[in-house]
Amino acid sequence: MATRFDSTQMTENRFTDIFNVTVPDLERLVAAALSRGGDYSDLYFEYSSYGELLLRDGAVTSGGFHVDYGVGIRVLKGEKTGYAYSESTAMKDMLAAAQTAAIIAGSCTAKEVPPVRVSRPASPDFYGMKESWNNVPASRFLPFLKDLENRIYSKDQRVVKVLARLSYSESEIMMFNSYGELTCDSRPMGNVSVSVIMNENGNTENKSVSRSFRMGAEMISGELADELASEAVSGMDERFRAGRPEGGIMPVVMGAGASGILLHEAMGHAFEADFNRKGQSVFSDRMGQKICNESISIVDDGTLYGNRGSCNFDDEGIPGQKTYMVRNGILASYLHDRISAKWFGTSPTGNGRRESFRFNPIPRMRSTYMENGPEDPKDIIASVQKGIYVDEFSNGQVKIGEGDFTFYVKSGFLIENGRLGDPIKDINIIGNGPKALSDIIAVGNDLKIDNGIWTCGKGQSAPVTCGIPTVLVRSLTVGGSAGE
Amino acid sequence: MNSGIISEEDKRKAGLFMASALEQGADMARISLSKSILDSFSFLNGELDKVSHSADCSVFIHLFVEGRYGTFSTNRLEESSIGDFIGRAIETTRMLAEDRCRTLADISRTAANARTGTELGLCDESYFSLDSSDRLRKAMSGCGFNKMKNTDSYKVISEEFEYSDSIDDNYLIDSNGFEGRHVETSFAVCSETTVSDSGGLKYSGYWWDSSPFLNNLDISDCSETSLRRAAACMNPQKRRSGKYNMVVDCSVSSRLIAPVITALGAGNIQQKNSFLSESLGRKVFSEKLTVTDRATDFGKPGSRLFDTEGVATSERKVIEKGTVRMFFVNTYMSNKTGMAPTVEGISRPVVEESQNLKSDGKRVSLRDLMRHCRNGILVTGFNGGNCNSSTGNFSYGIEGFAFRDGKITHPVKEMVITGNMLELWNSLEAAGGDARSCTRWQIPSLAFRNVDFSA
Repeated sequence: MATRFDSTQMTENRFTDIFNVTVPDLERLVAAALSRGGDYSDLYFEYSSYGELLLRDGAVTSGGFHVDYGVGIRVLKGEKTGYAYSESTAMKDMLAAAQTAAIIAGSCTAKEVPPVRVSRPASPDFYGMKESWNNVPASRFLPFLKDLENRIYSKDQRVVKVLARLSYSESEIMMFNSYGELTCDSRPMGNVSVSVIMNENGNTENKSVSRSFRMGAEMISGELADELASEAVSGMDERFRAGRPEGGIMPVVMGAGASGILLHEAMGHAFEADFNRKGQSVFSDRMGQKICNESISIVDDGTLYGNRGSCNFDDEGIPGQKTYMVRNGILASYLHDRISAKWFGTSPTGNGRRESFRFNPIPRMRSTYMENGPEDPKDIIASVQKGIYVDEFSNGQVKIGEGDFTFYVKSGFLIENGRLGDPIKDINIIGNGPKALSDIIAVGNDLKIDNGIWTCGKGQSAPVTCGIPTVLVRSLTVGGSAGE
Repeated sequence: MNSGIISEEDKRKAGLFMASALEQGADMARISLSKSILDSFSFLNGELDKVSHSADCSVFIHLFVEGRYGTFSTNRLEESSIGDFIGRAIETTRMLAEDRCRTLADISRTAANARTGTELGLCDESYFSLDSSDRLRKAMSGCGFNKMKNTDSYKVISEEFEYSDSIDDNYLIDSNGFEGRHVETSFAVCSETTVSDSGGLKYSGYWWDSSPFLNNLDISDCSETSLRRAAACMNPQKRRSGKYNMVVDCSVSSRLIAPVITALGAGNIQQKNSFLSESLGRKVFSEKLTVTDRATDFGKPGSRLFDTEGVATSERKVIEKGTVRMFFVNTYMSNKTGMAPTVEGISRPVVEESQNLKSDGKRVSLRDLMRHCRNGILVTGFNGGNCNSSTGNFSYGIEGFAFRDGKITHPVKEMVITGNMLELWNSLEAAGGDARSCTRWQIPSLAFRNVDFSA
């Protein structure tokens, strides 16, 4: 009898082989985890391999690889969490971890857990990896880094140092839970970053640029090197001339792309449902209310092809999806993991993410951006009499309760009488999330996702991206000189 | 008596990685085996919310092969896989460009007195007798939510409280014959409380304590302090932009010295990415600034007998009365730049107390600094910001209070400080004597003159 080729089964077998477990083993572990009365349990197996190469002083003189392997076991009892992990997938070690996690349920007597029916949700593919990093020798990437360096030196004579780094990883993830859902995901990630130091008349300036994609080794190309090299030296004339504006409260035009950090810090974190479940967020109890201009829709998206923040499944086995946090000015959804979704009586949104098997999942952003509005970016700038335009950022932070946020502006321009004026740099912008959101009075039609290496910290790190069209915020506090 | 969690069998495994590296062609190697255990009990609004147990063991490998250098790590320590892992690592290292500056630290510079890992007295033996019930009891005793009362001015929204303890055990060997070990326990509590005012505006306060020793951990005050800090933030007022005297509380003052320490690293200097490149031996800060690396203080957090290369640490002046006395130069940077090697980084920086405000032998307190400055802004938290490592220009969001005649008047909101690190530290008025004993970086409260505040 002819048998039909079953790719799902083949994938599953590959994963169970990697972790040296069988489906009955998984069922046994879940039963052990629930043996003290837990409501729900899940297992998160991870085998990650990382590679890195560093070009410094003209040569790739350091590099290496790293391996991380283990299983995290979580037990939920209501909203309470028990968590433990094992770096070994020997059954005795995993059972010990399961029993530790089980403690949260509190019951002293062992309980029988009925067997579950195993299901295998279909996997989307938001990565489209064509060439596995693991199949390419590191030697193939060395010319890329050297090429990148050469291009940078050739584009600007002021460059005195180039530091270029390539890092890449592949994570094999297998998840199983007490609903019987078995999901597998192979997650690639490639990161290229470059820092340049320039000198002009004895003054030193630096600039860093980066790209990150959930893609395979096919992302390494001459085009990428040229794009990074051009960006690394662009705007340096202005940076050498730049000063600090007089500080104060003023209109701020946020350029398309990296200004999306405004959404991440000022709004995104406050939409994460754990903060709302605990009543800590400034947006708690505002679901369904109008919170900003109706031309504004804000999305957190796990489905952008090859995007650093995308995931086929989140780290609780929920399929990747696109979530409208704000639709036409109305607060439409928080970002949920399983715990918060159950508490709010809604469905998880695929935001249950974790740094590794060492961490329990919590609501995290993916790619957070604002959809296009109607305005021409030039008209937005032209509408400002006196303010600043900003386009390059780092180091954002937010206080969830108060909603106060801040981020560091690496470059921008003064705006005077509707035109870009003198360049500015090294200032901080500070504001309040809900107020800043309601103060967005113009939204451009030039949405751009910034594909730099953005990493969000919330007790554990998560790869994210952000994006925004050009927007005008009526007033924000801008740090600068105190004036006379 | 226990002396850590790394066993003789673990040490033997580290030796197997070393032997395999040398056997397969490495000229030199350094192997670091780290083991740690962390337990935590978290409470949300007075109820147990999360229990977590972590146990890790991994090996980090530095290989020097035919003048090339690679770094590798794994937590898969099965004996049968070591040879293959090292073989692939050596193959990868051979692909890299030659760099003869990469060598091990000279054995004469390495520590010879760190054999048991407990020489600095940072391992609390009582750790080994704790079980889950003890930990839960500790956590419950500290969680203060049920004692928090609403008042006329605020309502308590939530409190997250956590007790945790951990042990870290690190064993380092190199092919020159260095062998060192460092064991450290840590016990910690933290609390974050959110309150709301009558208008529904929310304010949060955070506090923590930690110690290498369970008996020194102050569990009882943590929740109350976080509530007090949350309530103190209520009804903030905006201030005009301008130049103000700034006093920075000891709980956050390390934020301002960190860019200075980073700029003293030879790696940044070699990359021309340091605003202190030419500063060695020069007075570039206020003479009121003295920073000492007290790396070997017995029983103090942050102390260590050797750095990550195995190089012996010692007590050294880093900045003395405003003059830079040392850069942090590891073996690689020494070989590359010709600078004399020191240690690869700071261990336990101590900003020395200013003598100009001392009286009656008492420590200079936060209150003394505010009294000295009379009027200004007291900074109790930083909210984001950055420092440009090339130029020293910085901008940080701050939280805190305005003070007048040495007394707090009201909380401030949405304020940013900007300036340059060299200018800032030249405007240092005084350093207090109140660094928190629980921190690795012993940075006291600090007072500065005429700082740019924007609001």
